[in-house]
Amino acid sequence: MVKFIQKTDLLAWLEGIMRERTLVAPVKEEGVTRFRPVEKVADIVMDSGSTDLSAKDWFFPPSEVLFTMSKVDGQAVITPTTMAKEAVLFGLHPCDAQGIALMDLPFLAEPTDTIYAEKREKTTLVGLACRQACPECFCTSFGSSPFDSAGLDVLLIESGEGYIVQSTTPKGQKLLDSAKVTEANVEMPQPPAVNSVPIEGLVEIAPKLFNDAFWNRLADRCIHCNMCADVCPACYCFDIRDYTGKGGLVERVRTWESCQASGFTRIAGGYTPRPTKGARLRQRFYHKFLYMPKQLGKIGCTGCGRCVRVCPVNIDIREIITTMQKSGAKIGAGSS
Amino acid sequence: MDSTKIIKDKARELLASKKVECVMGFERATDGKTARPLFAYTPEETERFIYDQTCVHNLAKFLLNWKDKTTAIIAKPCDVRSINMLIQEQQIKREKIYIIGVVCSGMAECSWNRVGPTQERCTTCPQHNPPIYDFLVGELVAEKEPAASINPKVADLLAKPPAERRAFWNEQFSHCIRCYACRQACPGCYCTECFVDQLDPQWVGIRHSPADNHMWNTVRAFHLAGRCTQCGECQRVCPVNIPLMLVNDELTKEVGDKFAFQPGMDASTLPPFATFKKDEHLGIG
Amino acid sequence: MAPVRPNPFIPFTARLKDSIELTPDVKLLRVELEDETVRNNLSYQPGQFAFVSAFGVGESPFGIASVAYQKDGLEFAIRRVGTVTNALHELEPGAIVGVRGPFGNYFPLDEYKGKNIVIIGGGIGMAPLRPVIRTILDNRQQYGQLTTIIGARSPSDLVFVNEYESWAKQPDSRLELTVDRGDANWKGRVALIPAVIKELQLSPDNAVAIICGPPIMIRFVLVELKALGFAPRQIVTTLEAKMKCGLGKCARCNVGEKYICQDGPVFRLDQITTFLEQF
Repeated sequence: MVKFIQKTDLLAWLEGIMRERTLVAPVKEEGVTRFRPVEKVADIVMDSGSTDLSAKDWFFPPSEVLFTMSKVDGQAVITPTTMAKEAVLFGLHPCDAQGIALMDLPFLAEPTDTIYAEKREKTTLVGLACRQACPECFCTSFGSSPFDSAGLDVLLIESGEGYIVQSTTPKGQKLLDSAKVTEANVEMPQPPAVNSVPIEGLVEIAPKLFNDAFWNRLADRCIHCNMCADVCPACYCFDIRDYTGKGGLVERVRTWESCQASGFTRIAGGYTPRPTKGARLRQRFYHKFLYMPKQLGKIGCTGCGRCVRVCPVNIDIREIITTMQKSGAKIGAGSS
Repeated sequence: MDSTKIIKDKARELLASKKVECVMGFERATDGKTARPLFAYTPEETERFIYDQTCVHNLAKFLLNWKDKTTAIIAKPCDVRSINMLIQEQQIKREKIYIIGVVCSGMAECSWNRVGPTQERCTTCPQHNPPIYDFLVGELVAEKEPAASINPKVADLLAKPPAERRAFWNEQFSHCIRCYACRQACPGCYCTECFVDQLDPQWVGIRHSPADNHMWNTVRAFHLAGRCTQCGECQRVCPVNIPLMLVNDELTKEVGDKFAFQPGMDASTLPPFATFKKDEHLGIG
Repeated sequence: MAPVRPNPFIPFTARLKDSIELTPDVKLLRVELEDETVRNNLSYQPGQFAFVSAFGVGESPFGIASVAYQKDGLEFAIRRVGTVTNALHELEPGAIVGVRGPFGNYFPLDEYKGKNIVIIGGGIGMAPLRPVIRTILDNRQQYGQLTTIIGARSPSDLVFVNEYESWAKQPDSRLELTVDRGDANWKGRVALIPAVIKELQLSPDNAVAIICGPPIMIRFVLVELKALGFAPRQIVTTLEAKMKCGLGKCARCNVGEKYICQDGPVFRLDQITTFLEQF
C-alpha cells in the first residue's frame, strides 16, 4: 500500500494552491519548456521531461532587482526586494532538485544571500519523478536517480491514473494536507535506466590536466555563447549592475553571467587574468569538477544533460569527463 | 559525388603541403546524427571530416580568432557571403584564407539528436553557388530568381497592422533571457565591446524588461542591416526560439529594395551604410 | 568585524566628507557612515576592502586606506579608470555613497611583531599598504626595522606625498622613493622598484616583505626578493580581481578553490604558488 493521488485530484489540489500562493510550473513558450508562474492549471506541461530551461530560474532568475534606492529629502532610502507570497515550485525533476541543493551551498553560506534564502524558505518543492530518462542525461553518476526525492519536499511518481506520493519533509507534508491523498494498492514502477558516466578520481586527475593543450583545442570551436551556463541548474555565477530609471530611481540588478564571457575577469585598467578562450572554457569544467568539490564538498554537476542538448558546437560534458578519466595523466593533442 | 571524400582529400593535401596551418570543417557530433565544427591541424586529423546536410554551422566567425594564421575553411554559399563581408570590413585578409566552397542545395534543420527537414531559409535561398572560392566542391548550378528568395513569412508579418506586429514582438522578446548567444554566433557581431555591455553610456538596461529586451534585439538587428548574410545561426542557437531571422530578413529586404544591395556577394562593394551619394533617394517625403 | 546588514547586498549609506586630489588621476575620498551605531561599531584591519557605490552608476571594491582606530571615517584612494571611479571622482562633499564591508582577510600584523618589515608599493598599490605603515608606526616598539619602498611611473603619480616626511623620520625606519621617469623638478632616484631592492640588498633575516602594485611589478620584485634569499613564506601580497558580490557567491574572483574576496585578498607567496592559475 502506498500514498496515492488521482490525476484529477492533483490538478484540483494545484488549483487550490494557486488561490493563496504563486504556483510555478513548467509551461511551453514557442516550443520551449521553462518554469513560470501560472495563471491556469491547464497551462502546466505535465509531461515536460527535462525542461529546456531549468528550475533554478525561480530562485535565481535571469535578472532580479536586489534593491532600489531613491532620494527622499536628501536622504537615501534603500528598499530591498522581498517575496510577498509563498510559492510552490511544481514539476521539477530530481536533477533540478539536486541543482537547487548545489546552489544552496554558496548562496546560503555566511554571509547568507537573504533574498535567495527567503525564496527558499517560502517555496515548497513538489517534484516529478522521471518515468523516462533522456538519452543524454546521467544523474546517476552523481548519486541521484530518476526517482530520487533528495532535495524535494514532495515527490510524485506517475503510476496508472495518478501519482504515488512521497513527502520527505514537514513542509511537504503540510502542503499535502489540502490534497486528496489516499492509500492505494498501486505498483511502484521501475525507474528507467540512465547512462551513467564514471566520475571516480576526477578530482584527483583534474590538477594534472590543467595545462594540457586539450582545453585550447576544445575551445577552438567554443563560441562562448553562455548557453551551457544558462540552462545549467547548478551554474550560479552572476553580475551586479546599477540601473537608473525614471525619476532617478536606482535599481541594483543581479543577472546571470558566466565565466565564458570575455570580460568576466577583466579588471579596471584592462588587465584580464583569464584572457584566452581555452582558459575560460577550462574554468567552467574546473569550477564544477575540482574547485567546488574542494570548496563546497560536492561536484557542481547534476547530470541533467541540458548543456549537451543545447551547445551549438557539441561541447559534450560527458565526453570531457570520459576523456579526462581515460587520460589519467596525459591527453594527446589529437583529440577534440 | 562524395563530398566527404573530396573534402578529406583536399584538406589532407593542404595540410601536408603546409599551404595552410588549419582546416576548419565538420565532424560527427556525439549524438551520432548531427555535426560539429572540427579544426584539423594534421593530415591524420582530416580523416574525421564529414560533409552532409547536417553541417549547418557557419564557420566564418572562427576566422576572426585566426587572423594571423593561414586557414582553409569549408564554407557553404551563405558562409562564403559572411567571409566576403568580413573581408570587405577589413576584419580578415583574403590571402590568409583558402575557401573550400561547397555548392549547396539546402541544409537540414538540426538540433540535438534530431535531423529534421530542409531548413525554411534554404527553401527561399537565392544562392546555391559559393560567390567566391579557391576550391569548389560540387558543380555550379543556375541560380533562382532573386524575387523568389524573399522569405514569405516576412511578407505575412508586414501585411499585419503595426499594433498586431508590436504585440507579436513584445511577446517574443519577453522570452529573451539575454544570453547573447545570437551575438556570439553571428559573424557580423565582432565588436570588442558590444553596445549592450557598455556602462557609460548605458544604452540598454541590464534588467530583462520588455523595453530593454526589445532594445537589445532591435538594435542588434539594425547594426546588421545591410551586413547580415542570412546564415540563420542566430535563430538556430537561440534557446527560447525567438524567430530572429524574421527581423533580419525584413531589414535585408528593405536594404535590397532601396539600395539594390545584397551583402556578401563580393568583398569589394561598399555596403550602403558605408557610402554616401548626394543624389540618393531616401524614400522620405 | 563591522555588523553586516541582514541583507548582505545592501550597502550602508555614507556621506562624502572630503575628496582630495593626490595625483592627476587619484583622489582620496573620506566618507562617514550615516548610521551612528554602525559607525561606532565599525572595525576593520589593514588589508581589508570595501565596496563603494556611486548609486545609479555602480559599485566597486577598494582597499581601505585608513585605520579603524582613528575613527575618522573611512578613506579610499581611488584611481579614475572607469565608469564607477569616474562617478566617484565627480562627487562633491555632502554627496551620498554606499559602503559595503569590510570584506576579506587582512595582513596578520600580530604575527609580524618583532620582525623587520619591508613594504613595497607601486603606484595606487600604496592604498592598502598605508594602513599597514600607520599601524606599525603607531605601535613602533612592537616591530623591528621598517623599510618602505615607494615607486610610481612619474613624480606626479606618487601617492600620499604629504605623509612621506612623517614616515621617513620615525626611529628605525627608512623611506626610499623612486620613479620610472623623472621630471624637471625631480631630484630623487629614477629607477624601477626591483632595481632599488637589488641596490638596497635587503636582508631576509627575521623579515617579512609586503608587496602591492601592478602585476608586472610584483613579478619582478619577487625575482629580486628570491635572489636575496626571501622564502615564499616571508612574502605577502594582496591580489586584485574582478569582484561583484564580495560574499563568495558570484564566483568572479574564484581562482582555484579560493575566493579572493573571502580567502584573500591577502595571500602569502607559498599560498599563491599552489594556485593552478596565475591571477
